[in-house]
Amino acid sequence: MIDALTRWLESTWFSNWFLDNGQWTWPLAESLHFIGLTMLIGSIGLIDLRILGLGKGIRIVDVHALVKFTVAGFVLNLVTGSMFLTGQPDQYFLNRAFHFKLVFLALAGLNVLAFYGTTFRRLKQLGPHDEAPLAARLMAGLSLVCWIGVICAGRLLTFYRP
Amino acid sequence: MIDSLFIVLESSLVSRWVRGEFDAATMVFPVVISLHAIGMGFLAGIACMINLRILGIAPAVPLARLAAFLPVAWLALFINLVSGLLLLIGYPTKALTNPVFYIKLLCIGVALWCLFWIRRNLLLNTSAVVTAYARRLAVIATILWTTAIVTGRLLAYTYSQLTSI
Repeated sequence: MIDALTRWLESTWFSNWFLDNGQWTWPLAESLHFIGLTMLIGSIGLIDLRILGLGKGIRIVDVHALVKFTVAGFVLNLVTGSMFLTGQPDQYFLNRAFHFKLVFLALAGLNVLAFYGTTFRRLKQLGPHDEAPLAARLMAGLSLVCWIGVICAGRLLTFYRP
Repeated sequence: MIDSLFIVLESSLVSRWVRGEFDAATMVFPVVISLHAIGMGFLAGIACMINLRILGIAPAVPLARLAAFLPVAWLALFINLVSGLLLLIGYPTKALTNPVFYIKLLCIGVALWCLFWIRRNLLLNTSAVVTAYARRLAVIATILWTTAIVTGRLLAYTYSQLTSI
């Protein structure tokens, strides 16, 4: 199945176009991918760190307004990441580091669902100096660990090319 | 003259260690660039979020309270100074013969100066008013961090010579 998917992706016009123009498409997409990474880590970092207790005096719901940059960075990286994947699918599907990146992404995603499904409603009512509940702090910590894991696995891709 | 300096550096133990030339240390380079990417995310990320707040994003966040996140940015800066220095010792020819590297350093230098200015005049100043000058600085700093990220990424594509040995 992975084989068929790889062959299909490689046969698409986009894959061929992306690779044929690799001299500029690849560096451009990578630059955008790193800009997206920074938008994501900067915004989710401040939100998670505030939940963990740093920056008292800021209401969690107020710093949470930055989450639009987390979403924007994530979408930018989903798009550019899909470009790499379509360009050279075999370099990713068989890559150990890519598997770890997907695991960290899935964990981060489940964590987001759990966060908004449970504790976020209570966080919204907290005042600027209130301590977040333990569950929220655990999720904020897990979020930071997951995103740092995503970055590391992403950086290691080059060294685990099949 | 410069070439022989590159050769001396690249022959050193630290340089060879970074390049992964020892069997027990093949993961040094991947670990160092991973740390460099994490530090980039936190330093440029936090700095740019402060800039965006100055420009009116998330207006309910008290500007002065953002100072509490600066120690994380300084830790990220420290990680990137150390990891960056190790990468430079590992591949001095690659970096120092590439004009893009100097553009990157200049961007980081000026962006850091902007961050220090913002810290002193807006974050640590309780009676701070966001002036047009401060807003201009926030825009410039965001552009500089973005350029530093892009030029950093382009170092992998624009170098003319990897090593001198």
